[in-house]
Amino acid sequence: MATTAPSRRKVTSLEVLCAILVLAVLGQDWIASWLDAPAVRTGATVFVAVCAQALPFLVLGVLVSGGIAAFVPASALERLLPRKQALAVPVAGLAGVALPTCECAAVPVARRLMRHGVPTSVALAFLLAAPAVNPVVLVATSVAFPDNPEMVAARLAGSLATAVGMGWLWARFGKASWILDRALSRAPATDRPRWRTFAETARADLVDAAGFLVIGGLTSAVLAVVIPRDWIEALGGQIVVGVIVMAVLAVLLALCSEADAFVAASIAGLPLLPKLVFLVVGPAVDVKLFALQAGTFGRAFALRFAPATFVVATACAVVSGLVFLGVSA
Amino acid sequence: MRRETQNILLLLIGGALLKIALTGTYLRYVKPAHQPWLIGAAVVMVVLAAIAIVHDVRAARPGAEPPHDLHDPDHEHNHSARSSWLLLLPVLSIFLVLPPALGADSVRRAPTASTTTAESALYPALPPDDLLAITMADFSSRAAFDRANSLNGRRVLLTGFIVQDADRVYLARLSIACCAADAFPVRVLLTGNAAAGLSNDTWVRVTGTLVAGSATKENEYVPALDPAALTRITEPENPYEG
Repeated sequence: MATTAPSRRKVTSLEVLCAILVLAVLGQDWIASWLDAPAVRTGATVFVAVCAQALPFLVLGVLVSGGIAAFVPASALERLLPRKQALAVPVAGLAGVALPTCECAAVPVARRLMRHGVPTSVALAFLLAAPAVNPVVLVATSVAFPDNPEMVAARLAGSLATAVGMGWLWARFGKASWILDRALSRAPATDRPRWRTFAETARADLVDAAGFLVIGGLTSAVLAVVIPRDWIEALGGQIVVGVIVMAVLAVLLALCSEADAFVAASIAGLPLLPKLVFLVVGPAVDVKLFALQAGTFGRAFALRFAPATFVVATACAVVSGLVFLGVSA
Repeated sequence: MRRETQNILLLLIGGALLKIALTGTYLRYVKPAHQPWLIGAAVVMVVLAAIAIVHDVRAARPGAEPPHDLHDPDHEHNHSARSSWLLLLPVLSIFLVLPPALGADSVRRAPTASTTTAESALYPALPPDDLLAITMADFSSRAAFDRANSLNGRRVLLTGFIVQDADRVYLARLSIACCAADAFPVRVLLTGNAAAGLSNDTWVRVTGTLVAGSATKENEYVPALDPAALTRITEPENPYEG
């Protein structure tokens, strides 16, 4: 604690925090007057909404991550997964079913898996699959598209193909040097009680990731105000343009994977295929996830992984759409 | 960032989530089903921070545990230093500003067409009440797509807020599926000038009848309501539908 630390002339972060809090309380009226503009107010509401919606899922993710760190020995994971990476990737993709949350929870868990010796490609397949193929998301999709039950199968196939495809691509082309060392280094064995490891891992992961989640929330709040939704309307039946625009929109809007089906369904006059692209791309790559990944695995990783995922997810969604929805869609 | 600062930030953000979850203001941001999640997450954050603080205080006492345990060997501190500061943004937004629920501004931003089905369909029978209380979403989709025209001639009670847009007055309500980021609006045109003097975001309860056949493809399926009575109300606890 600060009281027992040797006195230093450097200002500590604790003092900075106190100063910011005091200033913010004093300047409350000034801050509030800023929010008088309707657009700023809308953005502020969306920002708080994204944080309030995503933080509980991130907390769940760090608890799972802490649980793995404390209670699951690395050898158990090695035994569970097939020895061949090419086989382990689809297994990890299917294991995503076991984490029924949206994408924010999957990031800390995927990093924990890597630190526990799971091959990166396998952990990445899990990262992409978990938010998209879990039962909650699939049920939400079927509720949102009551007249098109084939959307559920199409979404499942498209997302699973994206996850497995990216896992295999990483196994073939990925370089460990793109990922920050600290995201991969194995945790040294400690003689601490397990619950301490659990609590400390969860706490550290939460502090790490939450800041990046806030960046993502901020970005999507700004974009929610800046993007004129009218241009979705103008697409009409243009299928190719529709696919591209919906893919980009999925990245920019950064919706929770449990809610995106309702948003896609609500866009009138758009064919099913672009809507499917929106549902497959969104949980795999969006601004919020990009911020989280850049923070967790490093910028060099995120700058390569995100665009590749975008292309693979869009392609998988289109193919899956042609198979399940038919060419007419 | 120092560990103590991180812990205090965790306490603050946990407290902020707890505050909105317990006072009911969380309904401005997420749907009601999220309340247990918010409370659970807030409690976990506070407990994790408290464990770390208690541990650090004990470890700092002379003669207590060896100090090397103070920093987790599993976690090199300082690397995430700067990003964690951003946690202050939601904390300050919630404690100092508490942004209002989305309203007229979001409705005007969104494309007009907002119904989920674009085909006519048969809807479940409506209750035979003399005055039919119905959600805005149900009202507008039945008005546009109900083959049985079940709303024609019925007196309905709608709750929403006023949106003034291009010389017209609408009654509007936003639906959310998860959080306010995915809100989509439903609007109903108010005929006559019962609502003429009301400003944007005024919450009202309106009784009236559907103008039969008013929701067409040409007006993007926005139905019109002939209002008989209009009362101003305070914003409902849950400002969203869905």
